[in-house]
Amino acid sequence: MKPDKKTSFAARRAFLRKLGLAAGTSAAAGAGALGVMQAVAAKSAPASSAKSSPIPDYDWTKHQWAFGVDATKCIGCLRCVEACKVENNVSRDPHHYRTWVERYVYLEGEDRPRIDSQHDPVNIAASGSEGKYRFANRYQDAKVEKAFFVPKLCNQCTHPPCVQVCPTGATYKTVDGVVLIDHKYCIGCQYCVQACPYGARFFNYKEHVTDKCTWCYHRITKGLQPACVEVCPVGARIFGDLKEKQSPISQFIRNNRTRILKPETGNAPNVFYVGLDKDVL
Amino acid sequence: MPKHIARLIVLLVGFVVVGLLAKSFFTDESFYRYGHYRADSVAEIAAQELEFQTPRYCRECHSERVAQWSANNHKTVSCEVCHGAARGHPKKGKLPLPADAEVVKLCTLCHEAMPGRPLTQPQIQVASHNPYTSSGTQCTVCHNPHSPKLAGVVAAVTGSIDEGRKHAPSCAGCHGADGISPNDAWPNLAGQNAAYLVRILAAYKSGAEKDVMMSPVAQALSDSEIQDLATYYASLSCKGAPSAPGAGDAVSGKNLAARNCASCHGETGIGTNPAWPTIAGQKAGYLVNMLKAFRAGLRKDPMMAGVTRGLSDADIANLAAYYAAQSCESIPEARTKP
Repeated sequence: MKPDKKTSFAARRAFLRKLGLAAGTSAAAGAGALGVMQAVAAKSAPASSAKSSPIPDYDWTKHQWAFGVDATKCIGCLRCVEACKVENNVSRDPHHYRTWVERYVYLEGEDRPRIDSQHDPVNIAASGSEGKYRFANRYQDAKVEKAFFVPKLCNQCTHPPCVQVCPTGATYKTVDGVVLIDHKYCIGCQYCVQACPYGARFFNYKEHVTDKCTWCYHRITKGLQPACVEVCPVGARIFGDLKEKQSPISQFIRNNRTRILKPETGNAPNVFYVGLDKDVL
Repeated sequence: MPKHIARLIVLLVGFVVVGLLAKSFFTDESFYRYGHYRADSVAEIAAQELEFQTPRYCRECHSERVAQWSANNHKTVSCEVCHGAARGHPKKGKLPLPADAEVVKLCTLCHEAMPGRPLTQPQIQVASHNPYTSSGTQCTVCHNPHSPKLAGVVAAVTGSIDEGRKHAPSCAGCHGADGISPNDAWPNLAGQNAAYLVRILAAYKSGAEKDVMMSPVAQALSDSEIQDLATYYASLSCKGAPSAPGAGDAVSGKNLAARNCASCHGETGIGTNPAWPTIAGQKAGYLVNMLKAFRAGLRKDPMMAGVTRGLSDADIANLAAYYAAQSCESIPEARTKP
């Protein structure tokens, strides 16, 4: 599923963009302060990629990060969820998280899966203490037809709707493909939380800013794996650089038939899944 | 132009000028450098400190442990999964090992049988996993977390007693004509589990275990001779002259045994798995030497290395005294695979 394939959504976007440009130009021409507008427009246009990287010793034009999830390997141990909270100092309460794992259980005679995650009250009770996470063995005596776990996290979309709605430029897409949040510029309006179709963003009430997964941007820019990938004991999480043909993620996408979540939104997510059922959205 | 219109225009232009001035004053210098965001924030986010340091960091000091871990089944489970994020270690002190009460909880996070786990994942029924339920012991008593697979696979023994008797004279010099050793430092062989004897002789033969005396002897034996000898010695009566009880205190040895040894070797030294040796009535001096060898890593067994790690010299003497004083003849209740 390559983003450069021109879907009807992309075509519609291109058309609307042109329409908007035309309308904007005519409006600008009509306005008196034409010169000023042009100056501002020139300033806000994205700089060419020739410009240096904002991070010392790291050239962000040379990488294109992507993430893979092999749901057939996940054992639901939730080490990723715990490691993420430690690494990124996320509130330990089970309702705020940057990554999570969903369990889908199909019981005999039921036509819909039962879905729970670490913040389900039964699972909170099973973990025993705040900041520890585990799946309760609640279906051990039930007649289970099929069951599996699905790790989820921010999809770092190629066309991120959360960035589109941000009124202050506090969230943005980096050149190497990660959507970040500038906590100094975030005013806590939570438009982006509403805009994300994957529920990947949450509100940090302590600092009054929005928060979400960054693929551990501080680790990947140093050549390390994100914390959740580092601790996954079964290799269900795969991470790497699409610009490198032998990276784990390039091989994962090449060797598997992958799918993305909610392709109909046109966001072009960059988390590629293997082993999902039709009920996983 | 009417005066009020001119005023309005001046006012509007004033607003625009003030607005633009305010914008240029308040907008961060790095805003717009790469797009509609503050470029400096990228470096700020990238400067966040690492909590998880990766096994490469652990290896700098714990190279031996990392080597053992990376050669065994848990090699995909990074150090920090169980030991916690290493940031600040060792400056800020030791990383907490999981407390005894937490060990079962930690292991079962991955190994509790649960619908949804792939079948390739090793899973146990926590309620009925034998050693755990029978004695309430922790997983780490039998399984070394750095090398979790047990050496408990029972080798098939198909030797002949008569053939074994023919080869036995070459062993008798040290282990006694009837398998009862005349020396406190050499083990009795009579009545020992045949599967264990096969396993340990094969280990000496292959070089997996090394011993000045045993290695050359075992290398001279063929596989079928090993089978015959094991069958022969297993068939002998273990009832010989009672061995000297050793210097230790058998009473405190009993408590230690219940905690550390009983789930595999049995409370009285007769275990449940024939791949593991019977130690009841064994020579105390030999037991002491072996426990110290396991502790020092001279004998290579991940499970025994884990068990002996916490034992002092006095503990070892007490354990040896206790097991040496047990009768080798009592029959274990059930010989089931754990």
